[in-house]
This record gives sequence, structure tokens and C-alpha cells, in this order.
Amino acid sequence: MSASGTEPPLVPGDRPSAAHCHALRVRLPAGTSADDVAAALSEAVRAWWPQDAPERLPRLWTERTPATAGALRAELYRPVAPGSRLRAVLFTGPGPGAETELVLTAHRADLDMASLRLVADVLLGRVPADRPRPLRPDWPGPRPSPPSRPDGDHAGPAAWAEGDPTAGTDTATLAVPVPATGGAGLDPALLVVATAVVQARYEGVERPVIGVLTVLPGRPESALGPFEGNVLVPVDVGGGRPAELVDRARQAITAPQAWCDPSTYAELTSGGHRVRAGVLAVPGGAGRQGPDGLPTVLPCLAGTFDLTLVPDRGAGGEDVLTVHHRLAEIDAGSAARFARHVVTAYTRLAAPAPEDRPAVALDIDLLDGAEREQLVRAGGPATTPEWPPYRLDEAFARQAARRPDAVALVCEGDSITYRELDSRAERMAVGLLAQGVTPGERVGLCLGRSPDLVVAMLAVLKADAVYVPMDPAHPADRLAYTAEDAGLRLVVTDVDALPATSARAVRPDEVAAAGADGTLAPPGRGPGEAAYVIYTSGSTGRPKGVVVPHRNVVALIDATREDFGLGPDDTWTLFHSSAFDFSVWEIWGPLLTGGSLVVVPYWVSRSPGEFRDLLVERRVSVLSQTPSAFAQLIEADRGHGRPLSLRLVVFGGEPLDTRVLRTWFDRYPESACRLVNMFGITETTVHVTAQTVTRREVLAGSRSVGPALPGWYLYVLDERGRPVPFGAPGEIHVGGAGVALEYLNRPELTAERFLPDPFRGGRMYRSGDRGRLWPDGRLEHLGRLDNQVKIRGFRIELDEIRNVLLDDPAVTAAAVLVAGEGAQDAAAARIDAYVVLDGDDTAAVRGRAATLLPEYMLPATVTALPALPLTANGKLDTRRLPAPAAVRRPPAPAAAVQDPPTARRHSRGPSAELSAQLAEVWEAVLGVPVGPDDNFFSLGGNSLYAVRVAAAMSARRLPALPMRELYLHPTVRRLARALAPAAEA
Amino acid sequence: MTAPRTGLLAGKAALITGAARGIGRTCATAFAREGADVLLLDAAGPVAGVPYRSGSASQLDHTAALCRDLGATVLVRQADIRDPGALRDAAREAHQRFGRIDVLVNNAGIAAPSGRAVHQYDEDEWEVMLDINLTGTWRGIRAVADYMTRQRGGSIVNVASTAGLVGYRHFAGYVASKHGVVGLTKAAALDLAPLGIRVNALCPGSVRDAPEAEGLMLSEIARALEIPVAEHEATFVRDQPTNELVEPDSIAEAAVWLASDRSRQMTGSVLTVDGGFTSR
Repeated sequence: MSASGTEPPLVPGDRPSAAHCHALRVRLPAGTSADDVAAALSEAVRAWWPQDAPERLPRLWTERTPATAGALRAELYRPVAPGSRLRAVLFTGPGPGAETELVLTAHRADLDMASLRLVADVLLGRVPADRPRPLRPDWPGPRPSPPSRPDGDHAGPAAWAEGDPTAGTDTATLAVPVPATGGAGLDPALLVVATAVVQARYEGVERPVIGVLTVLPGRPESALGPFEGNVLVPVDVGGGRPAELVDRARQAITAPQAWCDPSTYAELTSGGHRVRAGVLAVPGGAGRQGPDGLPTVLPCLAGTFDLTLVPDRGAGGEDVLTVHHRLAEIDAGSAARFARHVVTAYTRLAAPAPEDRPAVALDIDLLDGAEREQLVRAGGPATTPEWPPYRLDEAFARQAARRPDAVALVCEGDSITYRELDSRAERMAVGLLAQGVTPGERVGLCLGRSPDLVVAMLAVLKADAVYVPMDPAHPADRLAYTAEDAGLRLVVTDVDALPATSARAVRPDEVAAAGADGTLAPPGRGPGEAAYVIYTSGSTGRPKGVVVPHRNVVALIDATREDFGLGPDDTWTLFHSSAFDFSVWEIWGPLLTGGSLVVVPYWVSRSPGEFRDLLVERRVSVLSQTPSAFAQLIEADRGHGRPLSLRLVVFGGEPLDTRVLRTWFDRYPESACRLVNMFGITETTVHVTAQTVTRREVLAGSRSVGPALPGWYLYVLDERGRPVPFGAPGEIHVGGAGVALEYLNRPELTAERFLPDPFRGGRMYRSGDRGRLWPDGRLEHLGRLDNQVKIRGFRIELDEIRNVLLDDPAVTAAAVLVAGEGAQDAAAARIDAYVVLDGDDTAAVRGRAATLLPEYMLPATVTALPALPLTANGKLDTRRLPAPAAVRRPPAPAAAVQDPPTARRHSRGPSAELSAQLAEVWEAVLGVPVGPDDNFFSLGGNSLYAVRVAAAMSARRLPALPMRELYLHPTVRRLARALAPAAEA
Repeated sequence: MTAPRTGLLAGKAALITGAARGIGRTCATAFAREGADVLLLDAAGPVAGVPYRSGSASQLDHTAALCRDLGATVLVRQADIRDPGALRDAAREAHQRFGRIDVLVNNAGIAAPSGRAVHQYDEDEWEVMLDINLTGTWRGIRAVADYMTRQRGGSIVNVASTAGLVGYRHFAGYVASKHGVVGLTKAAALDLAPLGIRVNALCPGSVRDAPEAEGLMLSEIARALEIPVAEHEATFVRDQPTNELVEPDSIAEAAVWLASDRSRQMTGSVLTVDGGFTSR
């Protein structure tokens, strides 16, 4: 129990530690003799610690200089030497009668604050020197660690703040007034809960664990020793009533059950959330400032935690919350915001009238009117542009009238001028009317990337109808679904066998022929009416149609025209499927700014090398790409002599990993080609934000998607629709010029997702995406709130895939996962399905799904299980799922054992030789065994892997692999046969 | 305000030997200006066997006053670096007062007895030169190394000389001792690097006797060589490519940098501030 001089210091590394030291300042009566104080101290410490070597005992340091603010502050914030029990410094001014100040500092592991007061009382003669007794506490549990994380780790970078990685262990301090208490002192238990409420909001956690420094109950009054220790208080912000939370925190502070030790720490933070914030709650140990504004009681010289919150009393007796923040994790602005919000939460929790207190923690609104206003303003550009209310076809017509002979479209050697495009579209529009199309009617366009597609889009609009793009590459059932859901009577298509629906299929040339002689009346519908409907993946298991009006697209192009310098000199590409809304941007971008549009044939779009050649040949200047596709283009471009003519690349469709751009910038500096990362949603008309990416962003690993486009507004809101503080995660809502009209024929879903904009009027779209907004208006995109994922730019609802699998009569349970998503290799991302099955024919399951799902949504693997593993909570336990199995047909007797006769006959020919080589290449690229009849795509192959197969084949001097051939002949045997003549040649 | 003072050395505590005047004083005030607290040590009185006037207690107090004016907390210790106990006590005192020791500037040293050929020194003259300049430097390292080890950090700046890199006629003892300091620096750097302690040598060229720093090195050397100070000064100015003598402030700036975290990856190095003299 008694102190021992050999007691090892508790601080790891024996470093002087400001965080674990506290200080007390006492003014002595004028004229106090320094020698008397020195003698009193010397006598007292010899009595208290007789076993200490004399030169190690505390002595009085006398500074015969005035106790200036600078000198006092330096002394108060100076940690004691490790191993020193106490430091006592007396400032006596040079002249007689000068003010005399005594500063006592100690390490918390040696003397607590009550001990320091006792020492001061002895030196002031208020207490006899033989009254205090040095004692080590008899702790009720495991020996407490020093008041910090036992493992010395900090919680790591705070996502809601900007840390300075070079700051080391430096801390800074700020103070926020707490007017609500009326100077009665801050209640530590309330402060703990208020801190937890704010941390929960900032970090999206349900049950933050707050470190609380408190004192051993029943501390002997006259003891000298370390009686302060840390407890960890989990605060169930998501669950408990605030009053209960405060009671529990008070219990933990005043009657601590478990002191913080490594095992408690590990147990309480096992969810992965480390302790971010600590509250100093030593009863009677709050900080205090003297009339000079300098501390008289300084509970800690620096913070132990990333954020250490200390109740304090200001010079005028007002309550103040002092916050120490580690600069490595949290910048001053963010710390001040956090502190202000803690004070707000505290004020609400401490409301005098019980009925004014929040019923649940979520009731607490952290923001005041001014801050809410600031948040709303930050989400949109300062000035709101006024868009001329044009229809798309009108806006196009203005360009056509201005430069009728400029090239509008280029496709494989053919080019079409604005005038020709306009007249062909007009002819087809008349043809559509002749087919009975009425204003506002939806017309399907099931056309590949071709001039016909663009002509038909324009024609539908000129006919005052609404186009519904349908990708001919999609499975028949999906196309049929789209036709039914959109209520199509007419589908313009060049696909021979459109699936059986009630819609009538007509060829583009038929429509044009029907409209050869007629004339067109001006459309009656305004720019606020629907222009197109694009179907997106839906969590209900069925895609949903997003209805977008004319004016949104016109606003989108107007919002970017000036900043991106879009104009007649630009050449764009039509690269993406018309069913993917990135193509809306690609098509209308040039057509509304006088540029020309190069139509990229499907097979070229699948082959980065051929695509690169096309970009060079056509001198394309504006390119829109998903980051995955662009990564392939960078690879294809490497080592080519003739550089691209690009001046602007727009990324969209999926999060951008900027790392791949370093090599790009080496070849194409920012000054020559601007890269812009745009975040967007179909429901808000392609894009929402724009972030120019330079080497600076690449090196900083920036995740910003930039501020909102002019006319678009961002709000990051909590589940109650309130703005969340800057840097805190919330759901992204988008208001302004891009908000779509509705989900077609889904009034309930529309009402759920398209909400009134309470901040600026109009409507806003609730995106289901998580994000955080920064004070400068930049948005950081954090992914989805639900099961939606993006693979190679495609928006995919896993629930939709799961529903398709469950529709299979043989499937009784299903789970769908994305694998390899975090990998650097975009090609590795794939969808794995697990099914509980009658029988074992997973190939049949996948085959059926393939009739309903587009290729990018089709699971690469389907693994049959006797049952899906579940967690205790009944959720899918993904950790217990086995590694996925490649899709296999049930073994057919002959095929499994030996090649069928036909194959054997070929075994002496060149195609068998090629087969063997191809199988090796596929196995190397896909990492799975490959049989002669295994489908490339069933084995997990995708467009990225296809590119690698082509590269590997060319490295082995095998025949060139046009992408088209691989898609047409997706097995080793068939591909070898298709390529064999080339090999023989 | 957890860092009440600012500067390159804010929050650091430094022990500076030979602080009464000259380079020691200039270093002390530069450190104080950069936010360090300092313990100033000097023999501050006649040193047996040294034929010229050493720094005085009054000069040491004046250095302390200059540092206090700059906001530093200052401890003053009058001690001869040939007394191992005195150095150890000084280090302990600095540690107790400041809570830490981050920097040692091993500056104390003598330039004479000198002024004769190598074989003409007697035992005592040779002994006092090496005892103060070389062994004294080692004693300083020994006194602070334990504190710095426990802190896992520290910077030791050994003030050597261009005489630690090249020879000078009639200065064999001084040259030998300063070459010894350079060698000691490198060996100590290797021993202490794993403990987080850096050791570097600073080699001033011919430093002007600045009146405000009360340094006397140049004139004492002239006296040892039995030539007029003005002539000696002119010779050195001629020999330095920059055509001027080195100012004490330039040495102090280099010492601040070596003491600061800015030079955190530098140890065992020799930093020359000699107007290009040794580049010839």
C-alpha cells in the first residue's frame, strides 16, 4: 500500500507525457518568502518519501522573475520529468511585495489532483505536513492502465476530419462556451452521453465507447497518490433512452466496476470501432481559470485521446468545454465543430424542463439555423443559373441551323452532317406519326450503336414522343419485360427476332420510308415533359423505368458547356449502350454544342486496342469512360507512338481509383488533357458533381467527387431528413435541375424516392448512396446504403439477381455476393451465387438466369449448398460460405472421360493444337481448370479478362483474337475451330 | 495553448556548454529565440593551464538574462567540463526542471596553449587540450545519453572546427583534439542511432570576434601565434573563399538546425560552416 521509490513509471517508454500530467496554480500572499516555501517543501517531501535518494526528491525551483503570462503558461504546460514525483515552481517578482505564484505539476500515475491540492495546502500552511499520507490505491479490480488506450494506439484517421500525418503526437486545444449551465458546472455524465451522441452521428456507429477518467470511490481524504483511472463507457446511443444513458454513465463514473485494462479495451472495441473520445470526469477535478485567464486548475496538459473533452470554468465563472485534439487525426476546424455539437447535445440533454429533453437520442438536432443554412449553401454553387427552357430536339435544331454542314455523326467511314441528321430524323418522325405514335407515347428503340440509333432518338423526340432505349445485347426476357413495363406499342429495331410482346417491331428504314413525304407539326409538349425512359436495376427484383424530361438534359449540357469548353471543335464518342445513361451525356453533349459524334461499333468498344486506334484516327477530343474501361485504354495506349488527341476525359458510372492515372499523366499532362471525375445517378440525369483530377488528387488519394454542377444541389441528410454536420456520413440527396420526373408506373416508389426539397423548394431525389459533404462543397462518395453494387460501371442490385435465382423452381434459397471488389484488378470483380437446390445442376440455374439477366449481372459462379450458413441473428454468414465452385454441368459419361469422336478426329489437326494452347491461356488468365466445352463467361470470364486472353494469345504468337469471335465462340473448342484457318494460313 | 512558445525548438530543453560568451552565447540566444529552454554551463572563471582569459560568471549571467528576455526558462550552472560529477549533476538538474533533455551543444573548448611545433608541447599542455576539447565532449555525451535514451530521442551537436578536418601549423594539440571530436562524433552516432539519439559535428571556420558575443577565439589564436590580431584576421579573410570571416550567428543557425527535428535523418555527419575554407 505504501509508496515505493522503485515503483516503475506507468507511462510506456518513460517519455515525458503532457497528456498524463496535470497542474495546479496557487497565488501566495505577497511577500511570501521563497526560502520558507522551499524549506516547507523540503521538510514535507523528506517525511512523505523517506526512501527516495535526496537528489531525487522534489525541490522548489525559484524563478526570480515576474510571473508573466508567458512564463506562467510555459510552466503550467510543461510536463514533469518521468520518475519525478512532483515539480514545484515559485515565481517571485524581483522586488519586495511582488506577486508570488506557485505552480505544482505531477504525473497522474504518481499524484492525483486531490493530492496536488493537499501539497499546496501544506505549502500554504493550511494543513500540517504530517497529515498527508503517501498511499497507493487498493484498486478493486485489475490494475488500471494509465489513462489512455492500453495498447497506445489511437483510433486512426477520423474520416470526418482532416488529419495532418506529419503532426506526430502534437495536440492542440480549443475551448467552447457552455452557456446553458448558468455557471453551475458541467455534469460529467451528461457530457459523456453528449459526446457519444455526436460521435455516433459523425462516425455512423450505434454504440460508441467513451473513455472516461474518474476517481476511485472512497479515496482516503488525506492520501497522496494516484487515485484516478480510466473506465470505458459504452453508450448505446441507438438503443437506450437518453435519461437511462445518462444514469448508466453516471453509474460508470461514480461507481466504476471495471477499470480500463487491455482485455476490457479489446472486448469493448471488438466491433472494430476504437475509442475516439475521452471525457475528464474526475469529480471536483474540472479545469478552472484565474482572473488572468490562465488556468489555476489544469486537469491535463494535452489530450490522451484523439479528442479529450475537459469540463472547464472560465475566468468569469462561466462554464467552458475545453477540447484537446491530436493534430495527426483531427484538424482545428473539425475539432471545433465536434465540440460545438457536443455542447448543443449537452444543452438539449440538460434542458431544465423534462418535456424539453429528447425522448430518444436521435431527437437531438445538432445544428442551429445558421449552420443548417451553411450546410445547405455548401451543397450548391453560389449562383443559380437560369436555363433557357428548351426541348432537346429544339436545342439540337438551333445547332443544326447554325452550322448545317458541320459533321454531326461519324460511323465507320460514313459521316452525316447536322442538316442530314435533322432531315433524316424528321423523315423518321413523320414515319412514326404515320405508324400512329401519339404525343407523349413511349417508343422502344432496340438498336445497337449506330447512326440509326441517334436518328431514331431524335425522331422520337421530334414526333413529340418519349424514347425507351433497349440494348439488343440484353436477354430476350429482359427486353420483353421492358416493353411490357413501359407499355410500348412500337419498337424500332434492326434485331430480327424481337421477343414476343404486344409491341410491334419495325425496322428503322421502314419507318423512314413511311415518312418520306409528310411534314411535321411543332411538338405540343414542353421541355418539362418526358424525353426518355431508362431502365435501371431495381431492388424489388425488376428493373424500373426512370422518366427524364427534356429540360434536364439541356440543363446538364449547359451546366458543363462553359467549364468544359464544349464546342464545335470537339469530337466525342458514342461508346456506351443506349440503355446506360452515360450515353445520354455522350450523345447529347456533342449534338447540343455543335460537336461531332463518332459511333463506336460494339466490337470495337469491347477491344481496347481497336478502340484506341479509332480515337487516334478520328482525333477524338472528348471521351467519356468508366474508370474500368479507361484502365484498359491506358494499357492499350502504352507504348504506342501516335498519341491520342484527347483534351477532356469524363469519368462516370463507378468510383474512380485514381492510382491508375499516374502513368496516364506521365504521357498526357493535365495541361493537355483534363480529367474530370463525375458522380451521378440515372434519376438525376447522368451527372451530379464534377471533380477535376490532377496529379495532386492522385498523390493525395483523394476520394472527392467534387462539388455539385451549377443548377444541381447536394444535401447529405440523416434518416430524419436533417442535414448532417460537415464531414459526417449521411444519405446523399440531390435537388435542382437534374431531378427526374418519376419512376414509370411506380407511384409508391416515386413518392418514396422523389421527395419535396425542403431547403430550396422543388423536388429532390433520395439516392440511397452514402456520402459526406465538406465545407467547400466537395462531396465524398462512400458507397451504397443498400445492396446496390457497381461492377465495371454497371449499377447492379444484388437483390434483383437473388430474386431471379429464387424464381427458379429448383432453387429454394439463394445468396448473391460480389467478390474481388476491393482488389486493384477490376477484372477480378465478379458475382458469386450460392443456392440451395433440388438436384445439383447449377449450370441449369445459371442458364435460366442468363435468359433474364444481362451479362454483367450474371453470376460468374453458382455454388450449390445443402443450406445457407446463417449468423446467430439469422443473417447470411458470408464468412462461412465455401469458396465458389466453377459452374459445371453434371458429368456426361463420355465427355467427362474422353473426347467425343468428333473432337478426336480433330485432335491431329491444327485446331486441336490451338485448343490445347487456348485452354492453357484461359487457365492462366482465369485461374480455373478449363475443359474444351466450358463457356468462357461461365468460368468467370468478362470483358476485362477477354482483353487479357487476347494479349496472352498475341504474346504466344497465336492468331489474333477479335473480341467478336470470343463472344460468338465462347468455348475453347469452338474458338479454336473458328480461329484455326487463321492459324493454318 | 499547449505549446506556449513557438519556433523550431519549441518545447525542447537544451544543455549548452561554454555558454558564457562567443559561439556558446550565440547558440544559447538562438535556441531561446526558437522556443527552447536552456541550461547554460560554463567554467565561468580562470581555467588552470589555459593561458588566456576564460568566460566569467558575469558573462554567463548575461547570457542567461538574454535568454530569459527571449522567453526561455533558464538554469545556470558554473562547472568545469573536466569534472564528470558536475556534468552529471547539471544534466539531472535540467531533467528535473524541464522534464526532459533534448539537445546537448558540446561547445566548451580551448584554443591554447598553442603556437609551437608539435614536439615542443609539454605533457601538461598536451593533456589540458585533450582533456577539455576531446574528453570533455565525451563527458557531455555520457552525462545526457541516459536521459535521451529513456526519451528515445535527442540531438547532440559537437562543436569541432575546421581544425578537425585539416591541419594548422603550430596547433597540433588543438588539431588533434578537434580531429578526435569528429571521430568521436561518428563513433557515438553509430552507438546511439538505435536509441534514437543523433550526434553530429559542427565545424566552424574562423569566426569573427563579435563584440556582442564577447568571443575571443580569433585574437587568442593570434596571440598564440605571436602576430598582431589585425594581421591574423586579414590572413584568414584572404584564406576564406567568401572573403569574409564567419559570423557567430551562422554557427548558431547551423546548431539550431542540427538540434531541430528538421535534421531528423542526419547523424554522424560533419557540417562545415567555414566560408569555403576547407573546399580548397
